[in-house]
Amino acid sequence: MRKSLLVAALLLIAGSLGLAQVKIGINLELSGRFAAIGNQTLNGIKVANLQTPEVLGQKVELVICDNETTREGSIACAQRFVNEGVIGVLGAISSSMSIPAAEVLQDAGIIMISTSSTNPQTTQIGDFIFRMAYTDDFQGKLAAAYVVKDLGAKKVAVFRQIDDDYSYGLAGFFDETAKKLGAKTLVQDFVANTVDFTAQLNNIRSFKPDAIYYSGFCAEGAPFMKQLREQGFTQQVVGADASDDPQCPEGAGAAFDGYIFTGFATPNLIADPAAKKRAEAFKQKYFEVIKNAKPGDFNGFVLAGADSYNVLVAAIKAAGTTDVKAVRDALANMEHYPGVSGDITYKGTDGTPKDRTIGFYKYEVKSASDWKKIELFGKSTAEVQ
Amino acid sequence: MTASKLASRSTLFTLLAGLLLVVLIGWRIAMLGDYTFARIVQDFLNALTLGSLYALIALGYTMVYGIIRLINFAHGEIFMLGSYFAFYAMTLTPMHWGLALLITVLLGGTVLLVLRSLFNLEEPKRTAALALLIFAGTFFLLAFRNMGWIEALLLSMLATGVAGVLLEAVAYRPLRGAPRESMLITAIAASFFLQNMGQLLFGPRVQGFNAETILNRPLNFTIGEETVYYTGILIVVPTVTAVLLFVLNLFVSRTKLGKAMRATAQDAEVAQMMGVNVNQVIALTFFIGSILAAAAGVMYAIRFGQIHPLMGLIPGIKAFTAAVIGGIGSLPGAVLGGLLLGFIEIYVVSLFPTLSAYKDVFAFVLLILILLFRPSGLVGEDLTEKV
Repeated sequence: MRKSLLVAALLLIAGSLGLAQVKIGINLELSGRFAAIGNQTLNGIKVANLQTPEVLGQKVELVICDNETTREGSIACAQRFVNEGVIGVLGAISSSMSIPAAEVLQDAGIIMISTSSTNPQTTQIGDFIFRMAYTDDFQGKLAAAYVVKDLGAKKVAVFRQIDDDYSYGLAGFFDETAKKLGAKTLVQDFVANTVDFTAQLNNIRSFKPDAIYYSGFCAEGAPFMKQLREQGFTQQVVGADASDDPQCPEGAGAAFDGYIFTGFATPNLIADPAAKKRAEAFKQKYFEVIKNAKPGDFNGFVLAGADSYNVLVAAIKAAGTTDVKAVRDALANMEHYPGVSGDITYKGTDGTPKDRTIGFYKYEVKSASDWKKIELFGKSTAEVQ
Repeated sequence: MTASKLASRSTLFTLLAGLLLVVLIGWRIAMLGDYTFARIVQDFLNALTLGSLYALIALGYTMVYGIIRLINFAHGEIFMLGSYFAFYAMTLTPMHWGLALLITVLLGGTVLLVLRSLFNLEEPKRTAALALLIFAGTFFLLAFRNMGWIEALLLSMLATGVAGVLLEAVAYRPLRGAPRESMLITAIAASFFLQNMGQLLFGPRVQGFNAETILNRPLNFTIGEETVYYTGILIVVPTVTAVLLFVLNLFVSRTKLGKAMRATAQDAEVAQMMGVNVNQVIALTFFIGSILAAAAGVMYAIRFGQIHPLMGLIPGIKAFTAAVIGGIGSLPGAVLGGLLLGFIEIYVVSLFPTLSAYKDVFAFVLLILILLFRPSGLVGEDLTEKV
């Protein structure tokens, strides 16, 4: 008894004397529907933390919170970070989880960098909210141009998850551009956790689409693709960055063969040679550190996770203090930060980096365990503007 | 108002509602224009499969409710366990003989203990024969076979049945006689526990359930110029559901154990006084209910091609709705409710494409209407005798 008391007292003293720490909150989808992407992002952050473990002579402590891919979970994580007094929060990955967390953190005056939310709304919530991704108006425009111009589709069926901010918004941008380019569209709705798509598929049968656009996630995407092929549809399917998730090919196997999607650029697709070099070096480090990572586990989400950590640490360094307001100002004035996902500039934007590269990919799937991602080409958002 | 007047009023209501529905559907089909006969057939087959899946899960729900008046919210998680057991049976076999031996001893031992307690196996000779069969069979399947879906299904049904009995023994039996709310809350807790345990044990990721089986083989046919697409599972699921309903009905109405079940459902205390081993009957109910859940889980996984630890949540709620619509406690009611739900979900999307995101709303509105006008469900008439 006395011994354990002594140990506790010693620990307390050590704690109070010990190194002051900079706390960074991490709000990610580590379980639930987006678990795979969430863990990839977390690995990216962990590796970046390993590379830069200290700032201003203080150790950076990562406070990890799993939002279980629910809005309530995300709000709870944000509130926990407010109570713990973190300087900034990284995450969430999806727009539906990022937006509610952003509202809490903006009110509390805590910096938030969403690693991969693409809904334009997210960063418009306030001046403390940043992101690492491009926005869906670009992604939707690029995808629509690709489907209508490059694939020559005149009729496109669009599938959107109506209760998700990302999927709903993206499908809207796609639909708008596709119509502008002269294509006819037919939109079909579904909700989270839908597994039976047969009725929606039957609805597009007499429309006879030339191509199909899917703006949802893999939890629904896997049964969707399986039933699509079973029901006799052979058209090209194009998806978005939520399909950049091993749960897609692993969940539906060969049904995903030939599926094309847009997503965060991997090193090979980054045009800037210096940025490409940094990305490749990071990739090597990633596979050294994350021992059991499969080749398919490295993607743009990992890079986005790493860079959201990097820019926050860089902003703390630039501010020279851990005062949240000063760090926010440093972040908002950041120009040409050499990130592993490309050049990052927040100056003059609403919190969305100026120049991001969107990659086009294609799945080659033989079976659920034997698949790879082919890199087609990359497009910079600066070009589209 | 007398009972007969009430009954005639509700019959009138049902008739009117039915007529309104037929007119509405006819009007929509005419409006849609391109809703061809082949598409109607296609939707019918899809709806039948989905409905039968719901019915299969609802059967287990309704059995448990019928006996101990417990809404077993963990039923969806038992369903999830069933699909995972089958998944591992298919992907991990043939395994190393040492591991197979270990699992055989653990699983076979538990199965034998549970079966003994369920069926009063007192004759040593028969028990020994059964033990031999179980141990040898399990070991053979695990160590030497690359299991196909049928073997995996059977093994999973056995293992899941045992899991259901264990759940009952651990979570519900100690609360026998406690207020019903305590049991209900425990059921919700058991559901959360199993979901989280699943995430820890099986990992949070979605797993592909790629059974290259006869069930996924295309069996398309044409009507006129159009093709109707369907696979083997579209025949198997409704058939399995129909056969199980028939067998269960026979079991409950004709066998001695079935009689004991009905007696327990009516009044557990009096049944116990009459010499019915109530604990055994309830455990048996959970065993059968869980076997049904496992069968549904495997069918569901084959149909939709993927499994994950939270997969039981939505089908569980749907099956619960189906059971209540049909009349909770009634076996044919559960099947009827499940089919009705399946048909609503498919035809709402087909007939009202712009409302397809609200298909669940239609199902739950129906649930509310049923609860308002026929609180005992479509089939459940007698409130005193269930199952």
